[in-house]
Amino acid sequence: MTDRIKEQLSAFLDGELPEPESALLLKRLERDDELRGALSRYSLIGAVLRSDGDVPAARQVAARVSAAIAREPAQGGPAIRWRDRRSLARGAAGLGVAASVAAAVVMLAPQFGAELASQPAAVVAELAETPVLPVAAVDGSAEDAGPTYTTPPAADMASGLAPAELANYLVAHYGYASPLVRRSVVAGLIAEPDESGAPGAVPGAEGQAGQ
Amino acid sequence: MRLAVVTAMLGLLALPAAANDGQAWLARMADALAGTSYSGEFVCESAGRSERLRILHRVRHGSVSERLVSLSGGGRELVRENDEVVVYLPDQKLAIIERRSARSDLMGALPTFNAGASPWYEVSFAGREAGLLGPAAVVVVRPRDGYRFGYRLWIDEASHMPVRSELSDAAGRVIERLRFTQLALKGDIPDAAFEPAVDRARLRWVRQAPQVGGDAPAWRAAQVPPGFRLSMSGLQAMAGASAPVRHLVYSDGLASVSVFIQAPTPGKTPVVGSGRAGVASAYTTVVQGHQVTVVGEVPPDTLRFIATGLRPADAPAERRN
Repeated sequence: MTDRIKEQLSAFLDGELPEPESALLLKRLERDDELRGALSRYSLIGAVLRSDGDVPAARQVAARVSAAIAREPAQGGPAIRWRDRRSLARGAAGLGVAASVAAAVVMLAPQFGAELASQPAAVVAELAETPVLPVAAVDGSAEDAGPTYTTPPAADMASGLAPAELANYLVAHYGYASPLVRRSVVAGLIAEPDESGAPGAVPGAEGQAGQ
Repeated sequence: MRLAVVTAMLGLLALPAAANDGQAWLARMADALAGTSYSGEFVCESAGRSERLRILHRVRHGSVSERLVSLSGGGRELVRENDEVVVYLPDQKLAIIERRSARSDLMGALPTFNAGASPWYEVSFAGREAGLLGPAAVVVVRPRDGYRFGYRLWIDEASHMPVRSELSDAAGRVIERLRFTQLALKGDIPDAAFEPAVDRARLRWVRQAPQVGGDAPAWRAAQVPPGFRLSMSGLQAMAGASAPVRHLVYSDGLASVSVFIQAPTPGKTPVVGSGRAGVASAYTTVVQGHQVTVVGEVPPDTLRFIATGLRPADAPAERRN
Protein backbone atom coordinates (compact mmCIF):
# COMPACT_ATOMS: atom_id res chain seq x y z
CA MET A 1 0.00 0.00 0.00
CA THR A 2 1.47 3.32 -1.03
CA ASP A 3 1.91 6.34 1.17
CA ARG A 4 -0.57 8.13 -1.04
CA ILE A 5 -3.28 5.61 -0.19
CA LYS A 6 -2.39 5.84 3.48
CA GLU A 7 -2.78 9.59 3.31
CA GLN A 8 -6.14 9.18 1.63
CA LEU A 9 -7.29 6.81 4.33
CA SER A 10 -6.23 9.21 7.01
CA ALA A 11 -7.98 12.11 5.30
CA PHE A 12 -11.09 9.98 4.85
CA LEU A 13 -11.19 9.19 8.56
CA ASP A 14 -10.75 12.87 9.26
CA GLY A 15 -13.67 13.70 6.98
CA GLU A 16 -11.36 15.80 4.87
CA LEU A 17 -11.09 13.73 1.71
CA PRO A 18 -12.88 15.39 -1.23
CA GLU A 19 -15.93 13.61 -2.56
CA PRO A 20 -14.45 12.32 -5.82
CA GLU A 21 -11.47 10.84 -4.02
CA SER A 22 -13.71 9.34 -1.33
CA ALA A 23 -15.79 7.65 -3.97
CA LEU A 24 -12.71 6.13 -5.53
CA LEU A 25 -11.40 5.07 -2.16
CA LEU A 26 -14.65 3.34 -1.28
CA LYS A 27 -14.57 1.51 -4.60
CA ARG A 28 -11.05 0.39 -3.90
CA LEU A 29 -11.97 -0.72 -0.40
CA GLU A 30 -14.56 -3.04 -1.88
CA ARG A 31 -11.95 -5.11 -3.64
CA ASP A 32 -8.80 -4.58 -1.60
CA ASP A 33 -8.56 -6.71 1.53
CA GLU A 34 -5.26 -5.16 2.54
CA LEU A 35 -6.75 -1.70 2.34
CA ARG A 36 -9.76 -2.72 4.42
CA GLY A 37 -7.44 -4.17 7.00
CA ALA A 38 -5.44 -0.99 7.09
CA LEU A 39 -8.58 1.08 7.50
CA SER A 40 -9.68 -1.10 10.35
CA ARG A 41 -6.28 -0.81 12.00
CA TYR A 42 -6.23 2.94 11.54
CA SER A 43 -9.68 3.16 13.05
CA LEU A 44 -8.65 1.02 15.96
CA ILE A 45 -5.43 2.91 16.50
CA GLY A 46 -7.30 6.20 16.48
CA ALA A 47 -10.03 4.93 18.71
CA VAL A 48 -7.58 3.40 21.14
CA LEU A 49 -5.72 6.69 21.25
CA ARG A 50 -9.00 8.38 21.98
CA SER A 51 -10.33 5.90 24.42
CA ASP A 52 -7.29 4.67 26.27
CA GLY A 53 -8.15 1.10 25.54
CA ASP A 54 -11.85 1.22 24.84
CA VAL A 55 -11.57 -1.27 22.02
CA PRO A 56 -15.31 -1.95 21.75
CA ALA A 57 -15.81 1.70 20.85
CA ALA A 58 -13.04 1.46 18.32
CA ARG A 59 -14.56 -1.63 16.79
CA GLN A 60 -17.86 0.18 16.60
CA VAL A 61 -16.28 2.85 14.44
CA ALA A 62 -14.57 0.27 12.29
CA ALA A 63 -17.84 -1.61 11.95
CA ARG A 64 -19.57 1.54 10.76
CA VAL A 65 -16.92 1.98 8.13
CA SER A 66 -17.28 -1.63 7.06
CA ALA A 67 -21.05 -1.36 6.97
CA ALA A 68 -20.84 1.68 4.74
CA ILE A 69 -18.56 -0.17 2.40
CA ALA A 70 -20.96 -3.09 2.37
CA ARG A 71 -23.82 -0.77 1.52
CA GLU A 72 -21.92 0.64 -1.39
CA PRO A 73 -23.80 -0.72 -4.38
CA ALA A 74 -22.21 -2.66 -7.16
CA GLN A 75 -21.25 -0.79 -10.25
CA GLY A 76 -24.27 0.61 -12.00
CA GLY A 77 -26.44 0.68 -8.90
CA PRO A 78 -27.52 3.79 -7.07
CA ALA A 79 -24.51 5.41 -5.47
CA ILE A 80 -24.28 5.98 -1.76
CA ARG A 81 -25.23 9.56 -1.07
CA TRP A 82 -22.46 11.96 -0.28
CA ARG A 83 -24.32 13.08 2.81
CA ASP A 84 -24.14 9.55 4.14
CA ARG A 85 -20.46 9.53 3.53
CA ARG A 86 -20.11 12.82 5.27
CA SER A 87 -22.05 11.45 8.18
CA LEU A 88 -19.85 8.42 8.22
CA ALA A 89 -16.74 10.51 8.00
CA ARG A 90 -18.01 12.77 10.75
CA GLY A 91 -18.43 9.74 12.94
CA ALA A 92 -14.88 8.82 12.33
CA ALA A 93 -13.62 12.36 12.37
CA GLY A 94 -13.02 12.25 16.06
CA LEU A 95 -10.22 9.85 15.38
CA GLY A 96 -8.43 12.56 13.50
CA VAL A 97 -8.16 14.73 16.55
CA ALA A 98 -6.60 11.96 18.58
CA ALA A 99 -3.21 13.58 18.62
CA SER A 100 -4.51 16.93 19.72
CA VAL A 101 -6.73 15.29 22.30
CA ALA A 102 -3.74 13.38 23.59
CA ALA A 103 -1.92 16.70 23.82
CA ALA A 104 -4.84 18.19 25.68
CA VAL A 105 -4.80 15.31 28.11
CA VAL A 106 -1.13 15.92 28.71
CA MET A 107 -1.79 19.59 29.25
CA LEU A 108 -4.54 18.83 31.70
CA ALA A 109 -2.57 16.16 33.46
CA PRO A 110 -1.16 18.47 36.11
CA GLN A 111 -4.65 19.36 37.18
CA PHE A 112 -6.36 16.04 36.78
CA GLY A 113 -3.37 13.98 37.78
CA ALA A 114 -4.01 10.64 39.28
CA GLU A 115 -7.76 10.88 38.91
CA LEU A 116 -7.50 10.37 35.18
CA ALA A 117 -5.24 7.41 35.57
CA SER A 118 -7.55 5.81 38.05
CA GLN A 119 -10.71 6.31 36.04
CA PRO A 120 -12.22 3.37 34.21
CA ALA A 121 -11.63 3.16 30.50
CA ALA A 122 -15.17 4.22 29.69
CA VAL A 123 -14.66 7.44 31.57
CA VAL A 124 -11.38 8.26 29.96
CA ALA A 125 -12.89 7.44 26.60
CA GLU A 126 -15.15 10.40 26.97
CA LEU A 127 -12.19 12.74 27.00
CA ALA A 128 -11.88 12.18 23.31
CA GLU A 129 -15.32 13.66 22.75
CA THR A 130 -13.90 17.11 23.44
CA PRO A 131 -12.95 18.50 20.07
CA VAL A 132 -9.69 20.39 20.10
CA LEU A 133 -9.44 22.13 16.79
CA PRO A 134 -7.86 25.35 15.62
CA VAL A 135 -10.02 28.33 16.36
CA ALA A 136 -9.44 32.01 16.86
CA ALA A 137 -7.33 32.90 19.84
CA VAL A 138 -9.25 34.41 22.68
CA ASP A 139 -6.92 37.34 22.80
CA GLY A 140 -7.55 38.23 19.19
CA SER A 141 -9.69 41.23 18.63
CA ALA A 142 -13.17 40.77 17.26
CA GLU A 143 -12.45 42.05 13.85
CA ASP A 144 -9.19 40.17 13.62
CA ALA A 145 -10.95 36.95 14.46
CA GLY A 146 -13.87 37.52 12.13
CA PRO A 147 -12.74 36.16 8.79
CA THR A 148 -10.79 33.26 10.25
CA TYR A 149 -13.16 32.37 13.05
CA THR A 150 -13.87 28.68 13.18
CA THR A 151 -16.01 26.82 15.64
CA PRO A 152 -15.26 23.23 16.54
CA PRO A 153 -17.49 20.68 14.92
CA ALA A 154 -20.26 19.19 16.98
CA ALA A 155 -19.05 16.10 18.74
CA ASP A 156 -21.05 13.00 18.09
CA MET A 157 -23.24 12.03 20.96
CA ALA A 158 -21.81 9.08 22.75
CA SER A 159 -24.24 6.30 23.33
CA GLY A 160 -26.01 6.47 26.63
CA LEU A 161 -27.28 10.00 27.03
CA ALA A 162 -30.01 10.64 24.51
CA PRO A 163 -30.55 14.19 23.27
CA ALA A 164 -34.00 14.08 24.80
CA GLU A 165 -32.61 13.31 28.23
CA LEU A 166 -30.07 16.06 27.78
CA ALA A 167 -32.94 18.50 27.25
CA ASN A 168 -34.47 17.51 30.57
CA TYR A 169 -31.26 18.06 32.46
CA LEU A 170 -30.51 21.33 30.70
CA VAL A 171 -33.91 22.69 31.62
CA ALA A 172 -33.34 21.71 35.23
CA HIS A 173 -29.86 23.26 35.20
CA TYR A 174 -30.79 26.42 33.32
CA GLY A 175 -31.76 28.43 36.35
CA TYR A 176 -28.42 27.75 38.00
CA ALA A 177 -26.28 28.57 34.99
CA SER A 178 -24.11 31.62 35.28
CA PRO A 179 -25.96 34.70 34.04
CA LEU A 180 -23.03 35.17 31.69
CA VAL A 181 -23.74 31.97 29.82
CA ARG A 182 -27.42 31.47 30.50
CA ARG A 183 -28.32 32.70 27.03
CA SER A 184 -25.84 30.26 25.56
CA VAL A 185 -27.42 27.43 27.50
CA VAL A 186 -30.80 28.44 26.16
CA ALA A 187 -29.44 28.65 22.64
CA GLY A 188 -28.22 25.09 22.95
CA LEU A 189 -31.47 24.03 24.51
CA ILE A 190 -33.89 25.42 21.96
CA ALA A 191 -31.63 24.99 18.97
CA GLU A 192 -33.36 23.23 16.14
CA PRO A 193 -32.35 19.58 15.98
CA ASP A 194 -29.88 18.63 13.31
CA GLU A 195 -28.68 15.35 11.90
CA SER A 196 -26.37 14.73 14.81
CA GLY A 197 -29.18 15.17 17.27
CA ALA A 198 -30.02 18.00 19.59
CA PRO A 199 -32.29 18.37 22.55
CA GLY A 200 -35.65 17.16 21.42
CA ALA A 201 -38.29 14.76 22.60
CA VAL A 202 -38.64 14.12 26.27
CA PRO A 203 -38.71 10.50 27.36
CA GLY A 204 -41.41 9.80 29.83
CA ALA A 205 -43.66 12.51 28.47
CA GLU A 206 -46.34 10.03 27.56
CA GLY A 207 -48.74 9.39 30.34
CA GLN A 208 -47.73 12.40 32.35
CA ALA A 209 -50.20 14.90 33.61
CA GLY A 210 -51.39 17.19 30.92
CA GLN A 211 -52.26 20.80 31.25
CA MET B 1 -7.49 65.15 12.94
CA ARG B 2 -4.61 65.72 15.33
CA LEU B 3 -6.90 67.79 17.53
CA ALA B 4 -9.39 64.94 17.65
CA VAL B 5 -6.69 62.51 18.70
CA VAL B 6 -5.40 64.80 21.40
CA THR B 7 -8.93 65.40 22.63
CA ALA B 8 -9.57 61.69 22.77
CA MET B 9 -6.34 61.11 24.70
CA LEU B 10 -7.20 63.84 27.15
CA GLY B 11 -10.63 62.29 27.52
CA LEU B 12 -9.08 58.96 28.38
CA LEU B 13 -6.76 60.56 30.90
CA ALA B 14 -9.73 62.22 32.49
CA LEU B 15 -11.58 58.97 32.98
CA PRO B 16 -11.62 57.66 36.51
CA ALA B 17 -9.35 54.76 37.30
CA ALA B 18 -12.35 52.43 37.44
CA ALA B 19 -12.87 52.94 33.71
CA ASN B 20 -9.88 50.70 33.11
CA ASP B 21 -10.70 48.28 35.87
CA GLY B 22 -11.99 44.98 34.53
CA GLN B 23 -13.50 43.98 37.84
CA ALA B 24 -15.39 47.25 38.08
CA TRP B 25 -16.80 46.64 34.61
CA LEU B 26 -17.92 43.16 35.63
CA ALA B 27 -19.70 44.60 38.65
CA ARG B 28 -21.44 47.19 36.48
CA MET B 29 -22.44 44.51 34.03
CA ALA B 30 -23.88 42.33 36.80
CA ASP B 31 -26.00 45.26 38.00
CA ALA B 32 -27.18 45.93 34.45
CA LEU B 33 -28.10 42.29 33.85
CA ALA B 34 -30.05 42.19 37.07
CA GLY B 35 -31.95 45.42 36.60
CA THR B 36 -32.31 46.27 32.92
CA SER B 37 -35.27 45.56 30.68
CA TYR B 38 -34.33 45.02 27.07
CA SER B 39 -35.20 43.32 23.83
CA GLY B 40 -32.98 42.23 21.02
CA GLU B 41 -31.64 39.55 18.79
CA PHE B 42 -28.40 37.70 19.08
CA VAL B 43 -26.44 35.09 17.22
CA CYS B 44 -24.80 32.24 19.06
CA GLU B 45 -22.09 30.30 17.25
CA SER B 46 -20.91 27.10 18.82
CA ALA B 47 -19.98 23.57 17.85
CA GLY B 48 -20.06 24.41 14.19
CA ARG B 49 -23.60 25.73 14.42
CA SER B 50 -25.08 29.16 14.39
CA GLU B 51 -28.32 29.93 16.17
CA ARG B 52 -30.21 33.19 15.96
CA LEU B 53 -32.50 34.02 18.85
CA ARG B 54 -34.74 36.86 19.90
CA ILE B 55 -34.76 37.82 23.57
CA LEU B 56 -37.13 39.86 25.70
CA HIS B 57 -36.06 40.54 29.26
CA ARG B 58 -38.09 42.55 31.72
CA VAL B 59 -37.43 43.50 35.31
CA ARG B 60 -40.50 44.99 36.93
CA HIS B 61 -40.68 45.59 40.68
CA GLY B 62 -38.16 42.85 41.31
CA SER B 63 -40.03 40.39 39.13
CA VAL B 64 -38.17 38.93 36.16
CA SER B 65 -39.78 37.84 32.90
CA GLU B 66 -37.85 36.53 29.97
CA ARG B 67 -38.65 35.05 26.61
CA LEU B 68 -36.19 33.60 24.12
CA VAL B 69 -37.34 32.50 20.71
CA SER B 70 -35.37 30.52 18.18
CA LEU B 71 -35.48 32.30 14.84
CA SER B 72 -34.48 29.19 12.94
CA GLY B 73 -38.06 28.52 11.95
CA GLY B 74 -39.12 25.68 14.22
CA GLY B 75 -40.84 27.87 16.77
CA ARG B 76 -38.91 26.60 19.78
CA GLU B 77 -38.87 29.01 22.67
CA LEU B 78 -38.31 29.45 26.37
CA VAL B 79 -40.43 31.61 28.62
CA ARG B 80 -39.40 32.37 32.17
CA GLU B 81 -41.54 34.01 34.79
CA ASN B 82 -39.56 34.33 37.99
CA ASP B 83 -39.14 30.79 39.29
CA GLU B 84 -40.90 29.03 36.45
CA VAL B 85 -39.32 28.21 33.15
CA VAL B 86 -41.25 26.69 30.27
CA VAL B 87 -39.48 25.31 27.23
CA TYR B 88 -41.72 24.90 24.19
CA LEU B 89 -40.67 22.35 21.59
CA PRO B 90 -43.54 22.50 19.09
CA ASP B 91 -41.73 20.24 16.64
CA GLN B 92 -41.89 17.57 19.34
CA LYS B 93 -45.36 18.66 20.46
CA LEU B 94 -43.93 19.03 23.94
CA ALA B 95 -43.51 21.60 26.65
CA ILE B 96 -41.24 21.15 29.66
CA ILE B 97 -42.12 23.09 32.78
CA GLU B 98 -39.37 23.60 35.30
CA ARG B 99 -40.41 25.16 38.56
CA ARG B 100 -38.07 25.72 41.44
CA SER B 101 -38.71 26.72 44.99
CA ALA B 102 -38.51 30.36 45.95
CA ARG B 103 -35.75 29.37 48.34
CA SER B 104 -33.50 28.54 45.43
CA ASP B 105 -34.18 31.69 43.49
CA LEU B 106 -32.68 31.79 40.02
CA MET B 107 -30.04 34.33 40.80
CA GLY B 108 -29.78 33.94 44.52
CA ALA B 109 -28.89 30.28 44.39
CA LEU B 110 -25.48 31.14 43.09
CA PRO B 111 -22.84 32.82 45.18
CA THR B 112 -21.99 36.32 44.09
CA PHE B 113 -18.96 36.35 41.87
CA ASN B 114 -16.26 38.55 43.27
CA ALA B 115 -13.54 38.49 40.70
CA GLY B 116 -11.14 40.32 42.95
CA ALA B 117 -11.47 37.68 45.62
CA SER B 118 -11.42 34.73 43.25
CA PRO B 119 -8.05 33.11 42.81
CA TRP B 120 -9.44 30.96 40.01
CA TYR B 121 -9.85 33.72 37.46
CA GLU B 122 -7.73 36.60 36.33
CA VAL B 123 -9.73 39.61 35.25
CA SER B 124 -8.23 42.29 33.05
CA PHE B 125 -9.33 45.29 31.07
CA ALA B 126 -8.31 44.79 27.44
CA GLY B 127 -9.26 48.14 25.97
CA ARG B 128 -12.11 49.73 24.11
CA GLU B 129 -13.72 48.77 20.87
CA ALA B 130 -16.71 49.86 18.89
CA GLY B 131 -19.77 47.92 19.99
CA LEU B 132 -23.32 47.53 18.80
CA LEU B 133 -24.59 50.49 20.79
CA GLY B 134 -21.40 52.53 20.96
CA PRO B 135 -18.02 52.25 22.63
CA ALA B 136 -17.60 49.03 24.56
CA ALA B 137 -15.16 48.09 27.29
CA VAL B 138 -13.45 44.79 26.58
CA VAL B 139 -12.90 42.66 29.66
CA VAL B 140 -11.08 39.35 29.73
CA VAL B 141 -11.79 36.75 32.41
CA ARG B 142 -9.05 34.17 32.14
CA PRO B 143 -9.27 30.93 34.13
CA ARG B 144 -6.17 29.92 36.02
CA ASP B 145 -6.68 26.22 35.43
CA GLY B 146 -8.37 23.87 33.03
CA TYR B 147 -11.45 23.24 35.12
CA ARG B 148 -13.39 26.25 33.84
CA PHE B 149 -13.93 28.33 30.77
CA GLY B 150 -12.65 31.82 30.09
CA TYR B 151 -14.62 34.80 28.86
CA ARG B 152 -14.03 37.85 26.75
CA LEU B 153 -16.78 40.38 27.15
CA TRP B 154 -17.71 43.53 25.31
CA ILE B 155 -19.60 45.71 27.77
CA ASP B 156 -21.44 48.73 26.46
CA GLU B 157 -19.99 51.75 28.20
CA ALA B 158 -23.29 53.60 28.52
CA SER B 159 -25.73 50.84 29.50
CA HIS B 160 -23.18 48.38 30.94
CA MET B 161 -24.91 45.60 29.02
CA PRO B 162 -22.79 42.84 27.51
CA VAL B 163 -23.32 43.18 23.77
CA ARG B 164 -20.96 40.45 22.81
CA SER B 165 -19.07 37.61 24.45
CA GLU B 166 -16.68 34.84 23.64
CA LEU B 167 -16.14 31.70 25.62
CA SER B 168 -12.75 30.06 25.51
CA ASP B 169 -11.39 26.72 26.62
CA ALA B 170 -8.38 26.01 28.76
CA ALA B 171 -6.10 26.47 25.79
CA GLY B 172 -7.53 29.93 25.16
CA ARG B 173 -9.38 28.87 22.05
CA VAL B 174 -12.77 30.36 21.35
CA ILE B 175 -15.45 27.71 21.53
CA GLU B 176 -18.46 29.96 21.43
CA ARG B 177 -19.24 33.42 20.24
CA LEU B 178 -22.41 35.30 21.14
CA ARG B 179 -23.16 38.61 19.53
CA PHE B 180 -26.16 40.88 19.74
CA THR B 181 -27.29 42.08 16.33
CA GLN B 182 -30.11 44.18 17.76
CA LEU B 183 -30.48 45.50 21.28
CA ALA B 184 -32.95 48.04 22.60
CA LEU B 185 -33.11 49.07 26.24
CA LYS B 186 -36.69 49.48 27.32
CA GLY B 187 -38.41 50.98 30.28
CA ASP B 188 -41.12 48.37 30.19
CA ILE B 189 -42.36 45.57 27.98
CA PRO B 190 -46.05 44.63 27.91
CA ASP B 191 -47.16 41.28 29.29
CA ALA B 192 -48.47 40.25 25.88
CA ALA B 193 -44.93 40.20 24.54
CA PHE B 194 -44.13 37.24 26.78
CA GLU B 195 -46.93 35.08 25.43
CA PRO B 196 -45.46 32.16 23.50
CA ALA B 197 -46.41 31.96 19.84
CA VAL B 198 -47.16 28.28 20.21
CA ASP B 199 -50.49 26.52 20.11
CA ARG B 200 -50.32 25.26 23.67
CA ALA B 201 -53.40 23.12 23.34
CA ARG B 202 -51.52 20.80 21.01
CA LEU B 203 -48.66 20.11 23.40
CA ARG B 204 -48.01 17.39 25.90
CA TRP B 205 -46.76 18.88 29.14
CA VAL B 206 -43.97 17.57 31.30
CA ARG B 207 -43.44 19.01 34.73
CA GLN B 208 -40.17 19.12 36.61
CA ALA B 209 -40.41 20.64 40.04
CA PRO B 210 -38.66 20.57 43.39
CA GLN B 211 -39.88 18.07 45.93
CA VAL B 212 -39.98 18.42 49.68
CA GLY B 213 -36.96 16.77 51.17
CA GLY B 214 -34.33 17.01 53.84
CA ASP B 215 -31.72 19.71 53.65
CA ALA B 216 -28.76 17.41 54.13
CA PRO B 217 -27.46 16.07 50.84
CA ALA B 218 -27.72 12.34 50.64
CA TRP B 219 -24.82 12.38 48.22
CA ARG B 220 -21.67 14.39 48.07
CA ALA B 221 -18.82 14.96 45.67
CA ALA B 222 -15.64 13.53 47.10
CA GLN B 223 -13.67 15.60 44.63
CA VAL B 224 -14.53 18.94 43.09
CA PRO B 225 -12.25 21.38 41.28
CA PRO B 226 -10.63 24.02 43.47
CA GLY B 227 -13.02 26.83 44.27
CA PHE B 228 -16.21 24.91 43.60
CA ARG B 229 -18.60 24.78 46.52
CA LEU B 230 -22.00 23.22 47.06
CA SER B 231 -24.57 25.99 46.57
CA MET B 232 -27.80 24.03 46.40
CA SER B 233 -29.07 20.62 47.34
CA GLY B 234 -32.58 19.34 46.86
CA LEU B 235 -34.89 16.78 45.40
CA GLN B 236 -36.86 17.31 42.27
CA ALA B 237 -39.15 15.52 39.88
CA MET B 238 -37.59 14.84 36.52
CA ALA B 239 -39.23 13.74 33.30
CA GLY B 240 -38.64 10.07 32.75
CA ALA B 241 -37.74 9.40 36.39
CA SER B 242 -40.16 7.39 38.49
CA ALA B 243 -38.85 8.86 41.75
CA PRO B 244 -37.53 12.28 42.76
CA VAL B 245 -33.97 12.92 41.67
CA ARG B 246 -31.32 14.37 43.97
CA HIS B 247 -30.09 17.68 42.52
CA LEU B 248 -26.85 19.24 43.73
CA VAL B 249 -25.37 22.46 42.35
CA TYR B 250 -21.68 23.28 42.66
CA SER B 251 -20.36 26.68 41.67
CA ASP B 252 -17.14 28.64 41.75
CA GLY B 253 -19.16 31.85 41.67
CA LEU B 254 -19.03 32.13 37.90
CA ALA B 255 -19.42 28.65 36.45
CA SER B 256 -21.89 26.16 37.81
CA VAL B 257 -22.42 22.44 37.62
CA SER B 258 -25.62 20.52 38.31
CA VAL B 259 -25.43 16.97 39.57
CA PHE B 260 -28.47 14.71 39.26
CA ILE B 261 -28.55 11.40 41.08
CA GLN B 262 -31.28 8.99 40.14
CA ALA B 263 -31.97 5.86 42.17
CA PRO B 264 -31.99 2.58 40.27
CA THR B 265 -35.20 2.19 38.29
CA PRO B 266 -36.53 -1.34 37.78
CA GLY B 267 -36.38 -2.25 34.12
CA LYS B 268 -34.14 0.64 33.19
CA THR B 269 -30.53 -0.13 32.39
CA PRO B 270 -28.03 2.45 33.68
CA VAL B 271 -25.93 4.01 30.95
CA VAL B 272 -22.64 5.80 30.48
CA GLY B 273 -22.36 8.57 27.94
CA SER B 274 -22.10 12.24 27.22
CA GLY B 275 -23.87 14.99 25.37
CA ARG B 276 -23.49 18.59 24.48
CA ALA B 277 -25.74 21.52 23.71
CA GLY B 278 -24.02 24.78 22.99
CA VAL B 279 -21.53 25.53 25.74
CA ALA B 280 -23.21 23.18 28.16
CA SER B 281 -22.02 19.63 28.36
CA ALA B 282 -23.36 16.62 30.16
CA TYR B 283 -21.83 13.42 31.35
CA THR B 284 -23.71 10.48 32.73
CA THR B 285 -22.31 7.47 34.49
CA VAL B 286 -23.21 4.87 37.07
CA VAL B 287 -22.15 5.08 40.69
CA GLN B 288 -23.18 2.31 43.03
CA GLY B 289 -26.12 1.46 40.80
CA HIS B 290 -27.37 5.03 40.65
CA GLN B 291 -27.54 6.99 37.43
CA VAL B 292 -25.40 10.07 37.98
CA THR B 293 -25.65 12.87 35.42
CA VAL B 294 -23.56 16.02 35.62
CA VAL B 295 -24.40 19.11 33.53
CA GLY B 296 -22.72 22.46 33.34
CA GLU B 297 -21.10 25.20 31.34
CA VAL B 298 -17.61 23.94 32.11
CA PRO B 299 -15.16 21.77 30.18
CA PRO B 300 -16.37 18.15 29.87
CA ASP B 301 -13.34 17.00 31.82
CA THR B 302 -14.57 18.95 34.82
CA LEU B 303 -17.91 17.18 34.66
CA ARG B 304 -16.23 13.79 34.60
CA PHE B 305 -13.95 14.77 37.44
CA ILE B 306 -16.93 15.61 39.63
CA ALA B 307 -19.08 12.69 38.47
CA THR B 308 -16.52 10.05 39.15
CA GLY B 309 -16.05 11.28 42.71
CA LEU B 310 -19.69 11.22 43.74
CA ARG B 311 -20.49 9.03 46.69
CA PRO B 312 -23.43 8.48 49.03
CA ALA B 313 -23.08 10.82 51.98
CA ASP B 314 -22.56 7.95 54.38
CA ALA B 315 -19.70 6.47 52.37
CA PRO B 316 -16.19 6.94 53.78
CA ALA B 317 -14.49 10.11 52.59
CA GLU B 318 -11.76 9.59 50.03
CA ARG B 319 -10.74 13.02 48.97
CA ARG B 320 -12.09 16.53 49.18
CA ASN B 321 -10.77 19.71 47.69
